[in-house]
Amino acid sequence: MTSEQKRTLALYYCQNVPASGERERQDLEEKYGRGIRLFTVPCSGRLEPIHLLLALEEFADVVFIITCPEGVCRYSEGNKRAKKRVEKTRAIIASIGLEVERIGMIIGSKENPISLADHARAAMERTLKLPPSPVHN
Amino acid sequence: MPSKYMIHTKTVTNRFQPVSKSGIIAWEEGCLKCAVCVKKRCVYNVYDKRGIDSRHMIESIDNLCMNCYRCVQNCPKELIHKSLNPEFNAMGDSHWSPPIIVRLWNQSQTGKIPVSGAGYPGPFSGPGFDSMWTDMSEIVRPTRDGIHGREYISTAVDMGKTPEHLMFNGSDTLEGEVPSIIDIPLPIILKMPSFGTISPNTIKGWAMGARRLGTLIALPMEKIDSALEDMGGCLMPLVLPRGTSIGNIPKNAKIIEIPWTEEWQGVVEDIKGYIPNLFVSVRIPMAEGMEEKALSLARGGISIIHLEGSSMSRFMDDNTRNLKDGIRLVHMKLVEENIRDGVTLLASGGLAMAEHVAKAIICGADTVFVDFPILIALECRMCRRCTKGLSCPVEIDTASPGWVASRVVNLIGAWHNQLIEVMGAMGIRDARRLRGEVGRAMFFEDMDRAAFESMGQVEEGCELE
Repeated sequence: MTSEQKRTLALYYCQNVPASGERERQDLEEKYGRGIRLFTVPCSGRLEPIHLLLALEEFADVVFIITCPEGVCRYSEGNKRAKKRVEKTRAIIASIGLEVERIGMIIGSKENPISLADHARAAMERTLKLPPSPVHN
Repeated sequence: MPSKYMIHTKTVTNRFQPVSKSGIIAWEEGCLKCAVCVKKRCVYNVYDKRGIDSRHMIESIDNLCMNCYRCVQNCPKELIHKSLNPEFNAMGDSHWSPPIIVRLWNQSQTGKIPVSGAGYPGPFSGPGFDSMWTDMSEIVRPTRDGIHGREYISTAVDMGKTPEHLMFNGSDTLEGEVPSIIDIPLPIILKMPSFGTISPNTIKGWAMGARRLGTLIALPMEKIDSALEDMGGCLMPLVLPRGTSIGNIPKNAKIIEIPWTEEWQGVVEDIKGYIPNLFVSVRIPMAEGMEEKALSLARGGISIIHLEGSSMSRFMDDNTRNLKDGIRLVHMKLVEENIRDGVTLLASGGLAMAEHVAKAIICGADTVFVDFPILIALECRMCRRCTKGLSCPVEIDTASPGWVASRVVNLIGAWHNQLIEVMGAMGIRDARRLRGEVGRAMFFEDMDRAAFESMGQVEEGCELE
């Protein structure tokens, strides 16, 4: 088992992230195996603290949200709201003694669009820098 | 009059939350904290029953929402939206489309005919079976008391050779031997799909379902194990001509299937030598030259021929040609040669809806195979993850045989009712009479030709203004 497979990353991503179709999703699952759980959402603003906390509680060591670039949200301000919710959830996990880095957020760039696979690689690198979650041990 | 065939269905709950077409997006920030929130006024109490399936992070409210849009319209700060679910659109492909998958799930859960709202919003015509309409002229005079009323509509079909004529002797008794047939109560045979996270329990469940329905299930020989020993009567082993021992054929099996080879006669002789009364079906790929192959099989005494199309309901060697056209070609060839009644034509490949059964029969099939719908009945999303070795999102292999059987019985029960509805509306009371009844159907290609052929043709490269 590689070091990557010892952590589980829950990755929520907006459907507007470039190259984030079903095929790309399956390619990522083939690459990272059980180390990644991918959830596509119609808008990152749909996510509430409960979604992030539930993933941390049930299976994930780290949770990441990938949003579309600021100013291009189809629901006007979904990504701005997602940002606020991430901050709120970080405050909650900090209060119970978990590292705030266990909730991550990547905001897409309008000028330099990055594919889901590249975002996932970056998120996985940051995941591996953290120890396994004490919630599951 | 034979006893009336009925499929008894009852609701079988899902094991997983289904993927909904749309979802609710509710902003919390900016909420005015109204004394009576629109969420509290939901007539379906959707917001009171909120739960999240942590396996797929599916919100229960998305499945419970009835899309009345009261909350969306009445929130004073417009904080509630509805959106299409990207997970829904990611399911299946162009043939096994998300709406078809969801309809199959619902039929497998409830056993009931799907009913949609008023009007039909879809396109006028489409590829394959969508370019075909059945005659509904008798819909103004349906059976007096519904499809299960006193006027019996029989869906039973025979497999095997039908005698061309009967001869009686002086004492009005039948002379000579009447060839035996396999009689199944509906023109549907289950078939194991070519992919899926399929366990021995899944296969056992399908076989139990086939037995309850009184039909057959086609299974590769290597999938038939001791757990299916007592179900030989409903099994249709798919035998490979080489490398498979004929001795492994279940003792009480009535029929087996072999693939087409140039040496089919020798293979059939070997099998008949071992089990003389066994029916042998020969499978021909729906591809160039299939009419000649079917003809040679029929002339050689094979009474059951299986035409196998692709899982996308197309020819095996040509994606532009549809299953319905392949069935018509072979059927008409056999009719022209005056040997159609000596052969039972089975058809398979991408039959995805109940109407496809009726339409395939109208095109000339006697019976059809249903493969992927019995997988979708088990909540399959047609994501094809299993083909890459990825985990099944709905863990089909862990389903119990009883649950599998009940889901399949529900699905086929719903299809059977729809077949009766179609036949009743056509004024046909016997599925055997539906075969090849193209006069009771309309084909878009024919109507298009009849309407516009006389106006000339648009030459290639020429643009219409």
